[in-house]
Amino acid sequence: MLAPTHCHRVTCPHLDYREQADGTRFETARAYCTVAEQFVQPMRADICQDRFDLDHASHCEIYRAHEEGQE
Amino acid sequence: MSYADFLADEPLIVTAALTGGVHGKEANPNVPETPAEIGRAAAAARETGASVVHLHARKPNGERSFATERFQAIDDEIRDRADDLLLQHSTGGTGAPTEVRAQPLRTDPAPEMASLDMGPLNRYDHLTSENTRATVDALYDEMADRGIKPELELFNDGHINEAHGLLERRDLADPVHATLIFGPGTLTRPRPANFLNAIENLPEGATFNTLGFGRHQLPFATMGILFGGHVRVGLEDNVYYEAGELATSNAQLVERVVHVAEELGRPVATPAQAREILGL
Repeated sequence: MLAPTHCHRVTCPHLDYREQADGTRFETARAYCTVAEQFVQPMRADICQDRFDLDHASHCEIYRAHEEGQE
Repeated sequence: MSYADFLADEPLIVTAALTGGVHGKEANPNVPETPAEIGRAAAAARETGASVVHLHARKPNGERSFATERFQAIDDEIRDRADDLLLQHSTGGTGAPTEVRAQPLRTDPAPEMASLDMGPLNRYDHLTSENTRATVDALYDEMADRGIKPELELFNDGHINEAHGLLERRDLADPVHATLIFGPGTLTRPRPANFLNAIENLPEGATFNTLGFGRHQLPFATMGILFGGHVRVGLEDNVYYEAGELATSNAQLVERVVHVAEELGRPVATPAQAREILGL
């Protein structure tokens, strides 16, 4: 796995911001889910960031499934 | 609108939904995200036959932006390149409060049109985009104050009822313009019978766009063409040109639906004709 190149305020502990992964490269670092191991959709990034009325613990099935698997 | 309108050679309005707010370059690197990219995409769509562009704004990293300034930058880029296009700002915004969703309405000048999501729809597994009647009314009222024509987005048949309800609560200018949306999940199931049923149940005199998600984009656009409606295509709703082949641009998708219309004998509207049809 490539090292993170940049970090913003991270609300979901599994959110990272990367410029490249799996052969895909972006000019600006984008939201990357370290559980799903892929760049996430921009709208999903708002969930990762708990923006507005969104909350990763409530609204993200990836986070919820991962947490359940850890229990 | 009906097959008779098709036979009467009513010009076809092609709306290009250039970027959206759900997926971005992670899904297709050709999705335009910056104001300059969106401006170029709009001009190319205009060249190939679009008269309306449906717009969302994004931050530099592709994430959603509702900021008036960001929409202003997009509008300026488009007007520099294609100043006769009809601009339609989105007011959609899953999880965002109404006040934030109203910000795209506040550019100078205001957009001629803006989308109005007419009810709830599910997103992912644990999230619903609510679009309460209070939100619909508040966004509609600001559109009315600013002289913006609403495009009623009907994600399923229940939202057709909501459109009739809005007409009871508010005095919408003729013609009502709606977009019928077909696809998975909360959307109307993409079947021809459901399309025919939906157009029968629209408010009297309404004009309509036909929007099919993903692989349904072209078939449902074709039905829209044949039944006197209008069409919306673009990378917001479909990132593929055909199965397994990403679309190279919004213009490519516009060009294809214009070709279908021309083959069927339906003339394609210029922006001036689109304004006349929509009562702008």
